Amino acid sequence: MQRSAKTALVAAALTTAFALSGCADTSGGSGGSDDTLDIATLTKPQSLDPKVANGSALPFFQAVYDTLVKREPDGTYSPMLATEWAFDEAGTELTLTLRTGVKFQDGTAFDAEAVKANLERFKKGGGADATDLAAVTSIEVVDATHVKLVLAQPDPGLLFYLSDSAGLMASPAAFAKEEELKTKPVGTGPYRLDAAKTVVGTKWVYTRSPDYWGEKPPYGTVTMSVFDNETAIVNGLKTDQIDTALLQDVGQQVSMKSDPNVTTTDVNFDFQGILLFDRGGKVTPALGDARVRQALNHAVDRETMLSALRQGRGEVTAQVFGPETAAYDPALDTAYPHDPEKAKALLKEAGYEKGFKLRLPRVTAIVNDALAASLKSDLEKIGVELVWDAPDPAVLQKVFVNKEYSGMVMNMGLDTVDGIVLRTLVLPGTFNMFGTTDDTVKKLVGSVQAKPDAAEADLKALNEHLVEQGWYLPFYRMSYLLVSDKDVKATPQSGMAVPSIYNYSPA
Amino acid sequence: MLTFIARRLAAGVFLLFVISLLAYLLLSIPDLDVARQLLGSGAGQAEVAAKNHELGLDRPVLAQYLDWLAHALRGDFGTSWFSGEDVTQALRNRLPVTASLMVSVTLITTVVSFLLGVWAGVRRGAVDRFVQVLGVVGYALPGFLVTLVIVLVFAVQLRWFPAIGYTGLTESASGWLSTIALPVLSLSIGSIAGVSQQVRGSVIEVLRQDYVRTLRARGLSPARIVFRHVLRNASAPALAVLGMQFVGLLGGAVLVEQIFGLPGIGSMTVSYTTRGDIPVIMALVVFTVIGVVLINLIVDILIGWLNPKARTS
Repeated sequence: MQRSAKTALVAAALTTAFALSGCADTSGGSGGSDDTLDIATLTKPQSLDPKVANGSALPFFQAVYDTLVKREPDGTYSPMLATEWAFDEAGTELTLTLRTGVKFQDGTAFDAEAVKANLERFKKGGGADATDLAAVTSIEVVDATHVKLVLAQPDPGLLFYLSDSAGLMASPAAFAKEEELKTKPVGTGPYRLDAAKTVVGTKWVYTRSPDYWGEKPPYGTVTMSVFDNETAIVNGLKTDQIDTALLQDVGQQVSMKSDPNVTTTDVNFDFQGILLFDRGGKVTPALGDARVRQALNHAVDRETMLSALRQGRGEVTAQVFGPETAAYDPALDTAYPHDPEKAKALLKEAGYEKGFKLRLPRVTAIVNDALAASLKSDLEKIGVELVWDAPDPAVLQKVFVNKEYSGMVMNMGLDTVDGIVLRTLVLPGTFNMFGTTDDTVKKLVGSVQAKPDAAEADLKALNEHLVEQGWYLPFYRMSYLLVSDKDVKATPQSGMAVPSIYNYSPA
Repeated sequence: MLTFIARRLAAGVFLLFVISLLAYLLLSIPDLDVARQLLGSGAGQAEVAAKNHELGLDRPVLAQYLDWLAHALRGDFGTSWFSGEDVTQALRNRLPVTASLMVSVTLITTVVSFLLGVWAGVRRGAVDRFVQVLGVVGYALPGFLVTLVIVLVFAVQLRWFPAIGYTGLTESASGWLSTIALPVLSLSIGSIAGVSQQVRGSVIEVLRQDYVRTLRARGLSPARIVFRHVLRNASAPALAVLGMQFVGLLGGAVLVEQIFGLPGIGSMTVSYTTRGDIPVIMALVVFTVIGVVLINLIVDILIGWLNPKARTS
């Protein structure tokens, strides 16, 4: 009898507890509080060492580290840790005037030496920041508040980089203990990391820095929670546990767009398409012929893909330059209408009447089954056999280092600065690993670099040439949805998929 | 009984070594190229080689394992290769979340299953059929579907419970209950369905035994017969099933933690394994094995306590 009584007691206790909890604390998270901003995201930072800051993880860093230059939501530059900057005539020297009286959160003074130490560390770090700062040959301390960046050649992207991850300033005193910097960031930023409340990998908690040099940050606490699926994020938004998030999944976007309790804004940041690296025909000889690349562009039915795969959430395009660039020409978006007959004719002209085999790597996060099948069937109709290689953890090594593939389906951020598009997609480098080019490209790039301030016509000509030559096979610019509840105003950020940390304010 | 426990513990320790070695070997098979992931696609071959050397990945797998083991035995699980967080600290944050789920689900499953199973086994007839249908339906419903529906109804529509997140037990008891209520409910349905059927079957089986008829003939009250004698003998097989369910729950926890955005070890296991963060994965393996060994030990002790015959076999 004893045991049964105990069992019943436990059962009763549990039932009561559950019933009680139902009414106790339904707000659960801190989403209800006005002084707290709860951001949800799918992207987590590798660590909080600015050396590994990139892309959508940047807000995690912006909270604790300021950048030298601030990039406003519309892409213009404004003072932050640097109050003034000026290039010399030749564009090979950038002098920065630094803000005075700023201290890092560990008490170290922010000065020219600190800037030098940070930039040199980025350059030595070997990551994306090293590539961004590649043109910088030396960093000279003029005096405590002036620093000079000497460039090997003019770099139109430099101010952008200094307003992005390569501009994040950490306390040089922390560089001695690199491992600690990964979890204990020391910057001059508006917030500080609350290490006790942070669960690395899931939720980062920041609190307002009491002695921030700038305007008082609008929130006392900012939390950034990382989820691995958008279902949880949408549930959190609907129950007010999350204030704001950027949704990428089309189904989730559609479900939030109809929700009357939130504000939504479209963000067209990424384009999706095949980068045809192998324009020289080294791996797939057929791709060496521009007519074959044009045929592939005509074979792909962009409109149908956009409506079937993304419920129409986006804009079809055939160019890799985004609407914010000078090179952008709206007419080029529809340069390759879906036309299998024309594609076949082009293949015949090029001597590939019987088609050829195109082998592409498959990253399932980007190429889902529907996209894989759609592309395969479009190309099959013009006689090109598309072979998807099985997902492979070493895919990046195979594509970018071993150069085993002639192309890859990618989601690429639409850079806002023409010069950066040139560097990443046109000039020999990471995404042009075969280093192919032609005389027209050389000539136009040369004249763009010679007079960067009056290059619009040349840039447009270059863009048109690249589209005409079929260097790429873009499908569409994808729409993401920036969602925020009624208490929060969130502004999309030029040059980033997610808003900067400064773009949130109480509505 | 003490020799029995000692024997089981020794077996558990042995199991821990074997599984940790196997896990390490398995992790070294796919060429995840951790160094390149860390350095980015722009890094040169020399930098990658240097990073591999720094991480010790250029040594034979067995040497790497022994090195890991030497540190682990001293309680040092190292730091994550990717995030730089202290592995022990990371687990200290996350284990309580998953443990809350597993222990609560196991307790609730035990209580509810025994109630349902005994009710069905003793009453038979309509009650029995009702419990059986409940069991089949609960078992057949896909876990993710149940979970999604539960979130939509109880969190998004009715707003009785939070849809995401976790509050620690030490932070706020009511917060803890409200954040784990729905995840526990989602995970409990399937395991209650399984275990209650087992209890029902055993109860019916035992009720047919001669000694029960004898007890009845001696005039014992039905309640005393069921709770004192039948349940004791019917519990062993049900407890064995419960022990196995516990192991299966880990798989379910991965899904539930993702849907509810709980910072537990389930979601951690997935994200860190795909990146090949060996220090974190190995620590997870160790703690999972310890959990499984302990639960099975408890089940074995309970079975042995209920049925002395089991101790010697």
